[in-house]
Amino acid sequence: MEISLHNISFAYNNDMIIKKMSCSFVSGNFYSIIGPNGSGKTTLLDLISGFLNPSSGDVCINETPILSFSKKEISKNIALVSQDYAINFPFNVQEVVMMGRHPYISRFSHPSSNDIKRVKRIMELCGICHLYDRKINELSGGERQRCVFARALCQDTPILLLDEAFSNMDINHTLHMLRLVKQAVKENNKIVISVFHDLNLASSWSDALLMLKGGEIKAFGNAQGILTQQAIKDVFDVVSLVEFNEHVQAKQVYYPSI
Amino acid sequence: MILLSFFLVAMVLISLSMGYIQIPMMDIISILIGKLSGNHEIMKNTSETYLAVLFDVRLPRILTCASVGAALALSGVLFQGILLNPLADPYTLGVSAGAAFGASIAILMNFSAAVVSVPAFAFTGACATLFVVVFLSYSSKNPIAGLSSNNLILSGIIVASILSAGISFLKFIANEQVSVIIFWLMGSFASKTWSNFIVVFTFLVIGLFISMFFARDLNLISLGPKSATSLGVDLKKITFILLVTGSMIAAICVSVSGIIGFVGLLVPHMVRFITGPDNRKLIPLSMLAGAILLLFADTITRAVLPHEIPIGVLTALTGGPVFCWIFKKNRFK
Repeated sequence: MEISLHNISFAYNNDMIIKKMSCSFVSGNFYSIIGPNGSGKTTLLDLISGFLNPSSGDVCINETPILSFSKKEISKNIALVSQDYAINFPFNVQEVVMMGRHPYISRFSHPSSNDIKRVKRIMELCGICHLYDRKINELSGGERQRCVFARALCQDTPILLLDEAFSNMDINHTLHMLRLVKQAVKENNKIVISVFHDLNLASSWSDALLMLKGGEIKAFGNAQGILTQQAIKDVFDVVSLVEFNEHVQAKQVYYPSI
Repeated sequence: MILLSFFLVAMVLISLSMGYIQIPMMDIISILIGKLSGNHEIMKNTSETYLAVLFDVRLPRILTCASVGAALALSGVLFQGILLNPLADPYTLGVSAGAAFGASIAILMNFSAAVVSVPAFAFTGACATLFVVVFLSYSSKNPIAGLSSNNLILSGIIVASILSAGISFLKFIANEQVSVIIFWLMGSFASKTWSNFIVVFTFLVIGLFISMFFARDLNLISLGPKSATSLGVDLKKITFILLVTGSMIAAICVSVSGIIGFVGLLVPHMVRFITGPDNRKLIPLSMLAGAILLLFADTITRAVLPHEIPIGVLTALTGGPVFCWIFKKNRFK
């Protein structure tokens, strides 16, 4: 499976957020999008997930434009963990995770035993079983994010988009979730595209980094190749030290403390 | 649910027996069975007066009242679900103001002689208002913000306040007819006919079918627009369909019985405390609860109180304090 962007642009009221972007993402890889605030990271994910339509250009899955898919077909191919994880009504955790099976359950029918089994297994994997009957809007930010994460995994799609999905999780849960995702990428040949703010996590966990600035791709490739002091200076306007860390087995970025 | 259904049937029977003329329960049951089975033998020993009171006066009124209660509750569930706002009720989008404005015009121009036209004007007013509100909150240029709950609520409030100024003006120039307008606005089930019931009931059944069809999508809408879309919900389409459904139901209620507040706001809240937020349970249970509540209120004003007071006033006067109590108890426990 392959997602390809053909020369896509997107504008909010004449304000170009994404400018003529082309690139492609293939199965079995974990991609990270990094870039400063307002560089178009979330918008790019929204365009890939079909929530927004590009002003020009096409987003394609296996060379078929995503606009030609129905919403239901898209939902069986792409799952999204978005930043709007506030849930307005007091659903309990199990109900929220079960919503991930929505595309597979036909109207008026109840979840099959297969759906129930899958929800249970994913909740175990994500370590949220103990929250089973808790109300989602009474949980902490990190717990809620794990539930939303579990919901997206239940959707069982070949493509998973993560929009700062780890922003409220502690380091233990972040690593746990990253391991889950990485395993899914390698064993089930999925595509994961994740927006990260932590450059070090992005570097050590992804197969490729996509550096964005001002709606344009500044660099796209493996971290070893593109993560340099100069690139970080150019994209983030930050002075840093970048070196290969033996322990992490990846390049890491260090910042001055003054 | 079964319990509530029994309760509703019992409530209907009890309210049938109550009133200026007390009808014994046995007679009611035998009349109903006789009518339903077409077997007139059973009704032989019941009086003609009872039959007339029951069929021409009480039954249409009671059934209309129960249907309106159910419809308002259903509409309230839909609006709270779409607008993601627990403060929303069937009148949030200005449907009531539109209907009231239409009705006021009809009364002012003295169309009230022809019985049909006040409700017809009210319904037209409500539909026109809905159209304006949706038009205001939709933009093809910025599709993301279109039909968002903030836009809808804001445009609803703006349109409603313009209309209520219009209603005040109509009252001002109405002279002696001002009392007719005010009385209509307060809502009543007095002298409702079978045709009223059939109209409300038809809308109610269609509305129920549509909302149950989209109940699970309505659940997903509460996850936020992006998550709902990524789970395969066609947000714009469903918002629009359910909005129109909810407003139409509310519009028909207002045109039949005037503005009855609080049922649409209160009932979904109360039921949500019991069933949780899942719309597949919330919708049918709210409808039953709404029907019971409004029938209870109507029976009190019709049969218990010495003078019939407008039902809209009664529901707000009794429902309000009950709601305050539930709100305080559940919000801060």
